[in-house]
Amino acid sequence: MTRSTAIATRELSKTYKDVRALDNVTLDLEPNRIYGLLGRNGAGKTTLMSILTGQNYPDQGTAHIFGHEPFEHDLILSRICFIRESQKYPDDFKVHQAFKAAAMFFENWDEQLAQDLVEAFALPTKRRIKKLSRGQLSAVGVIIGMASRAEITFFDEPYLGLDAVARQIFYDRLVEDFAEYPRTIVLSSHLIDEVANLLEHVIVIDKGRIVVDSDAEELRGAAVTVTGDAKRVQEFIGAADVLHRDSLGALASVTIKAKLSADQREQAKLMGLDLSPVSLQQLVVRSALSTNEGTDERTEARA
Amino acid sequence: MNRIMKVARMQLINKATFIGIPLMILISAFLFTVAIWWLVRRSGGDGVLYGGGAQAPMWYFLALGIQALTMTFPFSMAMSISRRTFYLGTLMLFSVCALVLSVFYYLMGLVETATGGWGLDGRFFALQWIADNNGFIQIMFYFVLMVLLFMVGFFIATIYMRWRHAGMVVFFTLLGLLILGIIALFTFTSFWDQFWSWALTWTAGSVSLWGALAAVLMAAGSYLTLRKATA
Repeated sequence: MTRSTAIATRELSKTYKDVRALDNVTLDLEPNRIYGLLGRNGAGKTTLMSILTGQNYPDQGTAHIFGHEPFEHDLILSRICFIRESQKYPDDFKVHQAFKAAAMFFENWDEQLAQDLVEAFALPTKRRIKKLSRGQLSAVGVIIGMASRAEITFFDEPYLGLDAVARQIFYDRLVEDFAEYPRTIVLSSHLIDEVANLLEHVIVIDKGRIVVDSDAEELRGAAVTVTGDAKRVQEFIGAADVLHRDSLGALASVTIKAKLSADQREQAKLMGLDLSPVSLQQLVVRSALSTNEGTDERTEARA
Repeated sequence: MNRIMKVARMQLINKATFIGIPLMILISAFLFTVAIWWLVRRSGGDGVLYGGGAQAPMWYFLALGIQALTMTFPFSMAMSISRRTFYLGTLMLFSVCALVLSVFYYLMGLVETATGGWGLDGRFFALQWIADNNGFIQIMFYFVLMVLLFMVGFFIATIYMRWRHAGMVVFFTLLGLLILGIIALFTFTSFWDQFWSWALTWTAGSVSLWGALAAVLMAAGSYLTLRKATA
């Protein structure tokens, strides 16, 4: 299938002093899908999004949005919306003034949607942005991101400070609006379980490197935790790719990257082993940890 | 509508910043000056009275140059505006504001002269050194001064946006060394007398020209610095 890509990067690298924020990132994102950009704090999520939106620039490699470099490219930029998690607003701006500015620059701006969301989040629009709580500040960013209806919209940890109800409102409205107005959405998050159901494709970044880049459907059931007698567990998993290992006396609990067939499941049952599914969050955490030998050793030592 | 124009409109969303505050500074400086003149006349003072309050709003432009950048630039990035568009829109808006205010200064100078210095023989807008020139030079003088002060603020702010604190330290250290060097040079070569007698030959026209050159250099420097600044 040769669908035009919305976002394409090739060997993208960026270094801040002695920190390698991005390390050879090569990605292709198709239009009109919801992507999850997952990773720990400082993994490089914001840096990657900044470069994709022309707010920053790479040291090496290329980033293309709809086939063009976004840096200083107004035509391309006008099709993107990226409100960063730590977004700064003019000191003297009130909430409604930020929306007024956004309505000028984003051609697809939907004022009705913005108003609906203001009500849903109970956001005081006449208050100065400087005086808002962390949750209200996140709500401002979420509303601009949603109502701009930009062809590519980035949400950078959009839920910070939002309560559970407000987060659910965000997820629900996002899915609803996406169904009506499909567009490319990149949702950066470290609350993986909460957003797991929204995502069609998952990208996991760790220490600036892409460690997972696959469809969410493929990841569900891509790993399994085998628990039981340590020797039998070892016998069962054989040479499978081990993501995590816990042991307590003669018992072992090992997470492996493998899709089990019905036969294998039957065999596990006969061997008295317990199989449990691995959530997306666990899979991401395990994948991130196993790329980091230092952390791995600590886990082993504790176990 | 053109995106450059939209940047100007965005800067104007809060009208107080670009229009209200400078006007308030000017009006209060003027009223204070007139009140003082009136007191001086009441207590029998004579001769022409000068007031330097007309420069008050100009210093605000220095702050405005810093604010327009540090406060609005990170937000303009979020509005998917290129640095170039942000730069052009902001400078255009400021130039228009400065031009309007310069014409206003000139017109107020005419009123001042016509009313015999507000009936108190005071000089607030029509300072002789400036008012003796033709209207064009007067307006250009105010305009260049305002733009120059704005550009000084803007330029320093771009250095901050690009290199943050390290940039500030390096910039002000170099600036300090440069000024110290010039003072030392003038002192060792006994150049001060010559310098001051040369400074006295300055006219509003020549100051405008040199000021304009400095403003253009700073505008170019700001643009080159802003090109790779990050929010």
